[in-house]
Amino acid sequence: MTPVSADEESVLADITGMLARLLEDEYGLDDVEIGMETTFNRDLELESIDLVTLAGLLQERYGDRVNFAEFLAGMEFDEIIELTVGRLVEYVVTSLKAAGAS
Amino acid sequence: MAMVDTGSVRLHVQRLGPGGGRPADATVVLVHGLLTDSLASHYFTVAPAFAAAGLDVVMYDLRGHGRSERPAEGYTLDHNIDDLEALLDRLGVSGPVHLVGNSYGGTVAFGYAARHPERASSVCLIESEPATPAWAEKLERILGWVVERLAHHEPEALAWVTANRGQHTARLAKGAARLVRETTLSRDIPASRVLTEEQVAAVRCPVLALYGGDSDLAGQAAWLKGVLPDCRTVIVPGHEHSILVEASGTVGGQVLALVAETLGTAAR
Repeated sequence: MTPVSADEESVLADITGMLARLLEDEYGLDDVEIGMETTFNRDLELESIDLVTLAGLLQERYGDRVNFAEFLAGMEFDEIIELTVGRLVEYVVTSLKAAGAS
Repeated sequence: MAMVDTGSVRLHVQRLGPGGGRPADATVVLVHGLLTDSLASHYFTVAPAFAAAGLDVVMYDLRGHGRSERPAEGYTLDHNIDDLEALLDRLGVSGPVHLVGNSYGGTVAFGYAARHPERASSVCLIESEPATPAWAEKLERILGWVVERLAHHEPEALAWVTANRGQHTARLAKGAARLVRETTLSRDIPASRVLTEEQVAAVRCPVLALYGGDSDLAGQAAWLKGVLPDCRTVIVPGHEHSILVEASGTVGGQVLALVAETLGTAAR
């Protein structure tokens, strides 16, 4: 696996990979297009339990530098429903920078 | 993803801790509700704050729900209590725990405390109640309605849910329809063994019961206070059944206050 890098492009690639794996494992989908504007709910049709799986994948990749559960716990339900991949990417980049990754 | 085999079913478990190598002050077990619910409801609401407050947080999906295995049979309340018992055993959690249950999860949590008073430090019921004969009758009505509307008239029911509650809820309802169709859940739950008033009263640990002010369960508060030796109740005004998600700050704060109080008492 490539080293963790705190720039938008690499984080988007990381997260796209995680989502592709999740969609394949849980729903047998293997050709879903994912970009910054993609929403977890409307576009990817993920359930809240899928986000728990994603939290595990983020933990594997970034360790304690990124806390997805805390990120979502701070949001209103409507915000979670509208959550985009881009917003998560921004959060991860900010968290990694705060934790001192290059 | 952590799967734990209890010997009779494989359950999906998530655990959050204080982090940074800090030892936990106590273990809190969070149990979710029926049909459309999963451990995600706790994971993304109260669990991070519980872990940050120094607790070992155990969350799991009930059999048939979330990412846990879905056997065709075995959905009475006692099956759920057996699962919880076996799960804690497998996880090596031997001491008493704080139990928190949302909706049906509270009924499971209370049932566990009634079966093992020595293993419950406290019980928190979120929009929930112990299993009584009245509870079983109500669940039979609700599940009968779900079977009729959702399992037998799924397209119409889902169209209604999508229009009135949104696409995400509709997706969860679809999962619920499958659970009801493919398992004995809707027959098993109402046939569960229930508690007598004496058995309810025998739960002597501190019990916290939280209800939405506009919920039809709010009337439970007065009854529980009358029956239980150590019970406090909190009504969250302006809410119905979904206080865990809609008022998670209030709910989490009340649970932490109860746990802190219990720990303080134990230390004295």
